[in-house]
Amino acid sequence: MTSIIKETQSIKEAVNFINTVDVNKFSRLLSRIIQKLHVKGERTFSEEEEEKLQAALTLDKHALDLVLETTAFILEQAVYHSIKPASLQQQLEEIHLNSDKAEVFSQAWASAGPELVEKLKRNIFAPKKLDYVSWQLNLQMAQSSQARMKCPSAVLQLGVRNEDSEVQENIFVEFNHQQLLEFYDKLEIVQGQLDSLT
Amino acid sequence: MSSSNVKDSSFLGGRIPPEIESMSKNLKDVDQELFRKLLKVVVSALEGKDCREVMKSVAESSVIPQERLSHIIAGMHRVLSEAIRIPASLLKQEAFKEDLRELRIPEDFITDFSSVVFGNRRATLEAASSQNDPHLPTLEEFKWRVDVSISTSSLARALQPSVLMQLKLSDGSFQRFEVPVSKFQELRYNVALILKEMNDLEKRSILKIQD
Repeated sequence: MTSIIKETQSIKEAVNFINTVDVNKFSRLLSRIIQKLHVKGERTFSEEEEEKLQAALTLDKHALDLVLETTAFILEQAVYHSIKPASLQQQLEEIHLNSDKAEVFSQAWASAGPELVEKLKRNIFAPKKLDYVSWQLNLQMAQSSQARMKCPSAVLQLGVRNEDSEVQENIFVEFNHQQLLEFYDKLEIVQGQLDSLT
Repeated sequence: MSSSNVKDSSFLGGRIPPEIESMSKNLKDVDQELFRKLLKVVVSALEGKDCREVMKSVAESSVIPQERLSHIIAGMHRVLSEAIRIPASLLKQEAFKEDLRELRIPEDFITDFSSVVFGNRRATLEAASSQNDPHLPTLEEFKWRVDVSISTSSLARALQPSVLMQLKLSDGSFQRFEVPVSKFQELRYNVALILKEMNDLEKRSILKIQD
């Protein structure tokens, strides 16, 4: 398959730096980066952590940034093309990454890759995502304008969450029997559409 | 022998509201024409319309002093609201008329009241009065879309279906959100479950709770 990483000047430089890093340390670094790859807009490492990394890997700031960016880039390309681990290993060796590092990459990709691909598949552009469904069924007995009702009423709680936030926003909707039936009929139509896709 | 000697308490409850008592005192020398005009205004008000202009003109064209008119209006409003509250299946027309006779309201006026409470404007009145009751937003409009994303900036071949929903609620708000297929199944399952519970509830409650 065509190579997913072109050997540009900056890639060459990054590879040189990566090759100087101890393989075990690199392996841990890689796992951490993979875990956070699907989250947009968040730095994988805090400023403090980056400083510690610089010391641990004996890289200056520029070198560390390059190593982190390039590692992330390689992984993103792997995800984008859904490349196989063996293929990845081969391509990394072709851009002159040490074989022990290439193997570490390939192993990390083999174990964490599929989950990462799943996470990214689910990241579709939408402001909010439905995260939580809950409900309550009440028997309404009366209200100011009406006595002796005995009217079943359901409250549906839909918890929606913005893609990058932990905060859940709740939407509460009330239904009587008729309204709920109508809603259900529409859901059945949607289900029909989903079924026709498979 | 009749099954009960004691008449069930009036539809107004144990104590007659003061505005209704004072209305019946003030209905002397009110002719039917005036009564009907006033009743019409009160019904409009209960339906949620703005009746100030009409009210003013009725008051100005009448010989009855405004203060007495206001007692009558207040009483009419109360009689109608209380009667509408009780489901039509439970308050029978005869019982309603009997209760009003006990308040010494003239028979013609009782007939007029009755035609409002048991006539074809009742549904509008009920709908209008329940608007003011507290309730959570209901679903006014539900629009949806099923998408299959073929490719994204992170994945060349994604092929993932998803449902996009837009809800317009009765409080005017719009909610738009994506529903992953698994969550959609969960939603559908839960709605079906609520419907089943509602059915069970409706079968049971009619038997248990006595009116």
